[in-house]
Amino acid sequence: MPERIERSIEELYRDDPAKADAEVFGRETGPSRRGFLNGAGLAAMGAAVGGAIPFAANMPGGMIPAAMAQSSPAGMPPSASPAPASAAPKGPQYLKFPGKSDKLVVLGERPLVAETPENLLDDDTTPTDKLFVRNNGQTPEENKEPDKWKFVVDGEVNNKLELTLGELKAKYKPVTRRLVLECGGNGRSFFTPQARGNQWTNGGAGCSEWTGVRLADVLKAAGVKSSAVFSGHYGADPHLSGTGVTLSRGVPIKKLMDENNLIVWQLNGQPLPNIHGGPVRLMIPGWPGSVSAKWLNRIWIRDKIHDGPGMGATSYRVAIKPMVPGDKPDEKNFRDLESMPIRSIITSPANGTKLPAGTKEVKLRGAAWAGDLTVRQVDVSTDFGATWTSAKVEKPKNKYDWQRWTATVKLPSDGYFEIWTRGTDAKGTMQPHIAGNWNPQGYGGNPMHRVAVLVG
Amino acid sequence: MTYSHAIAAARLARLLLFVTIGIALSASVAVAQTFTPRDESPEEFPAGAGRDETFYTCTACHGFKLVAAQGMNRRQWDDSINWMMEKHRMPPLEAKERDAVLNYLEAAFPPRAPAGGGGFQNPFMKR
Ligand code: HEC
Repeated sequence: MPERIERSIEELYRDDPAKADAEVFGRETGPSRRGFLNGAGLAAMGAAVGGAIPFAANMPGGMIPAAMAQSSPAGMPPSASPAPASAAPKGPQYLKFPGKSDKLVVLGERPLVAETPENLLDDDTTPTDKLFVRNNGQTPEENKEPDKWKFVVDGEVNNKLELTLGELKAKYKPVTRRLVLECGGNGRSFFTPQARGNQWTNGGAGCSEWTGVRLADVLKAAGVKSSAVFSGHYGADPHLSGTGVTLSRGVPIKKLMDENNLIVWQLNGQPLPNIHGGPVRLMIPGWPGSVSAKWLNRIWIRDKIHDGPGMGATSYRVAIKPMVPGDKPDEKNFRDLESMPIRSIITSPANGTKLPAGTKEVKLRGAAWAGDLTVRQVDVSTDFGATWTSAKVEKPKNKYDWQRWTATVKLPSDGYFEIWTRGTDAKGTMQPHIAGNWNPQGYGGNPMHRVAVLVG
Repeated sequence: MTYSHAIAAARLARLLLFVTIGIALSASVAVAQTFTPRDESPEEFPAGAGRDETFYTCTACHGFKLVAAQGMNRRQWDDSINWMMEKHRMPPLEAKERDAVLNYLEAAFPPRAPAGGGGFQNPFMKR
């Protein structure tokens, strides 16, 4: 007891949460991190917070109840009278973070997930402040010495590499590419019934300038063995529960070797910001963003399909044989989502734009992209798809760039109109009217984007 | 613990806000680029039996906003709890606790009526 008084509980937990648990409450944290409190410890903790702790067994080890902390971040009075039912903030919640647009829509704060409304993707190159954020774990501390950031390339290689960012910059030729980065769950909100996960509209995507070195050059130096089958990518972001790897996904060796993959340290000419995975991340364009590990610290070359967290079962996977929407999945019927599907969005006008009475013509701008493929065609309709007009689609600057498009549509009268866009990829696959191929976690949802305008 | 005991205990549990190690650690070093999530409280979410227990069970790792953004039936919520245990390191719940949590999730966040528009919402409709 005396020791505990000398050092605050907060300090103890800060220094070594597991030890603090043991010291303060006699709680042993097992490998599963179940916060087992023995009877005495539970009573001690209960007494300290002034009441019994329901579900104490669920309280992950190493967590200090804020009621006991010296300075409660919430600063909530303990007996605050309950707000009326359902007082959750209505409408979108906007991001407040230095260096990020306050028009990004927050899907979650823990972990931090924020999407870019389609009309904010109107720049040819997505500025850093408008690029979406998808963190899967805790956001690591900002690194103060980026050039000392270290990562390894190991496994099925002849020379295991251990490289600092400084060495990476010095040894390999840098390249800059404009590349689409897209969350694997982009479009999830369009599924019916609702699919589980962050409810992205089309805003889990952006196309910025990325600077780094070719992953293929680094792999050449490592000497990938013929036994290599798959990769596993690791980052430094801690798991939300406090221990272990947050996410580790990978790609087949063929995709890994693609010359368009980069190990990057710059975004739009500036050092890669921490929340975007800086100092160093992977960019494996065209596939779900989760393979482009942020805070990169390891590329493991494997002799079998990677089995890290986020691989297998229904994670980042789609049904092979179409399943009944909403049913329990048969996990054997799933394959990895690889190339992202074709998607076209209208970036101007914004959904909900009011146009002056008598407006007869609207100029449209947009963007389209299609995973590993290019976009062959973009069409637009103002009559719910009864008739279509082709847009003028620009060429990509480089492979995996998006393609900007423009079109002008005529409106016959005042009133309510919906403008729809439908992209077609190089293989002729078009966007559907609704999100098809339902799967429990909602991957591959790419129905046509629609915006409503009101004339007069 | 009986169910009514659990409810009474849950009221007291409002005293608790579980702070993850990460937040506890990051609080010690003020860094401009570290994002600090806003604290949530159970009262922000639909009232109902088991709300507080569910809130505290499901916010040890992530925000409740993620939970509240879903609309699922009981079987899907049940599958989701299994998923949390199998994939995301959630400790198992006792049968009674699990039932209380499922009752709340089922009642508060049922499948949303199909919008028909596949997620599209008419921005001009008067509400
Ligand atoms: C031990 C940690 C932990 C606990 C406790 C926990 N979850 Fe999760 N949950 C996670 C992680 C990790 C994710 C993935 C987060 C991400 O990728 O953004 C997640 C994601 C989710 C998702 C999104 C779907 C998905 O698969 O990513 C839902 C829904 C969810 N949790 C519901 C719940 C519910 C309901 C509870 C309480 C019964 C709960 N969680 C408790 C760790 C936890």
